[in-house]
Amino acid sequence: MKRLLALLATCALLGGCGLEAGYKLPFEVAPGSIKPEPTLKDVSIRVGSKNFTEQILLAYIAEVALAAAGADIEDLSNIQGSPAVRQALEVGDVDLYWEYTGTSWINFQQETEPIPDEKAQYDAVKKADLERFGIAWLNYSPVNDKYAFATTKEFAEQHGLKTMSDMVALLQQDPSLGTFCMESEFISRQDGLLGAEQKYNYDVPQRNIKTFGVGAIYATLAAGNTCNFGEVFTTDGRILTLDLTVLEDDKKTFPQYNAAVTVRKDFLDRYPAIAEVLEPVSAALNNDIILELSVKIDGAGEDPAVVARDWLVKEGFVTIPKT
Amino acid sequence: MTATDAVLTMESGSRRAELLRLFLQPIAAVVLVGGVLLWAFSQDLDAIEVVSLNANTLLNSTWEHVLITAAVTVLVVVVAIPLGIVLTRRWARKIAPIFIGIATIGQAAPAIGVVVLYFLWTEQEGLWAAAIPLAFVSLLPVLRNTMVGIQQIDPALVDAGRGIGMSSLTVLRRVELPLAVPLILAGLRTSLVLAVGTATLALFVNGGGLGFIIDSGYKVARTTVLLTGAALAVGLALLVDWLGALAERYLGPKGLR
Repeated sequence: MKRLLALLATCALLGGCGLEAGYKLPFEVAPGSIKPEPTLKDVSIRVGSKNFTEQILLAYIAEVALAAAGADIEDLSNIQGSPAVRQALEVGDVDLYWEYTGTSWINFQQETEPIPDEKAQYDAVKKADLERFGIAWLNYSPVNDKYAFATTKEFAEQHGLKTMSDMVALLQQDPSLGTFCMESEFISRQDGLLGAEQKYNYDVPQRNIKTFGVGAIYATLAAGNTCNFGEVFTTDGRILTLDLTVLEDDKKTFPQYNAAVTVRKDFLDRYPAIAEVLEPVSAALNNDIILELSVKIDGAGEDPAVVARDWLVKEGFVTIPKT
Repeated sequence: MTATDAVLTMESGSRRAELLRLFLQPIAAVVLVGGVLLWAFSQDLDAIEVVSLNANTLLNSTWEHVLITAAVTVLVVVVAIPLGIVLTRRWARKIAPIFIGIATIGQAAPAIGVVVLYFLWTEQEGLWAAAIPLAFVSLLPVLRNTMVGIQQIDPALVDAGRGIGMSSLTVLRRVELPLAVPLILAGLRTSLVLAVGTATLALFVNGGGLGFIIDSGYKVARTTVLLTGAALAVGLALLVDWLGALAERYLGPKGLR
């Protein structure tokens, strides 16, 4: 009992037992085009991420890049759910993580209407987040993890579907083909299903909407028995591995979800070199790279930290130290 | 005061407490749900919150939740009670640990994993695709209580039944089952509350229910929506537990009440 009390007291002193167990990177990296930054030497930086492949990959990319600049990295990637990661950033349990402009706008700034242009959306969210929460945004990446509707390759070829307008034209001829798998968030958001229905002037009947967990949608869609169309994320590796066809959002209803590193302003003010290290890396990324690297992780089962490092090495940002 | 008196007082005291609880529990459930609903609808709801927080969606989700719970209950009763009876027969005692083991795995496994695995395996979706795995998850209390309920019966009573010429089936029907009913009902009550809680996961396989409100409230960081969904689920669990308590009180054998 005494021991238990002591443990609890230690936890309280450490400020909660939730996020203390960070990991170190499983390898060493040497500088490449990222040079050692004297101001970052041995500075402890805790990097968080949400709990899906792309986020974990992005976290490792930032970690490896910062490690090459000399920082002492603590890996806190794979935190369950975006509100939890955001909370950790706000209270200082993690120092930085990659957030999406659209997510922060709707979820954390509590807005309901997205801004169609990606630059304008970024500027708005950057301004609001700094003013209201003291969270700074580094420059955004071309990585844009948007919502999209996807279908199987066979179905798309059979009906000649390339865009969402094609889909709507097909469904107006034969509404019975319009079965959709989606998750609860997509149904609730103004810029999800509701926005798409308005923009494309087509209402999906309630009975044709099937609610699933976001992970189950891809497999269900690929199996092809339950729904012909599904809500997906454009950078998910399963689009490639399951041979799905993403329909182009030709009327641009879905909001912008550019990824950018978010960091507390006081932390960035103390270590401004973080931006100099990460912004070129962020600019070099795009959706195709994320898709390709995600497939290595999800499909081939490679270690995300190694995949992140190998990409940074290939791009010349970092090098593998000679032993 | 003698020792006997003390025991008697305690008995009637706990009986009074039980009666009070039977009376207060549904009131508490209604007050909780009503209070949270009043609070939620007095907020300034934005367009995202209104998608979940409207009478139609809330009623629909609650009704779907009740349906899933009912389906799970039916499955549990139909599977666990007969199975429990069979496993207490003399010839089946050797294989009983296997079934208890399987049911234990069901309860120990994370419910969401069981639900999603079942879906990936069968590719079925909807109410039953949720109810079948959830029944597996909440089977154990009824199965085990049925077995314990029958095993704890004084063998002399069974012998007496056989002695006056009853067949083993009649002994089961007239002696063993009635004496096991209180324990079976207690198990069912536990299973039911488990079912209400885990039914929030039905959403992930298109089973509907209050999970929709809770999940979308969490995902889009609308605490009002999340709390309303959670309060409805808690209220439902309290009501179901109350129904279970009523059943225990009024369906048990008269002599044991």
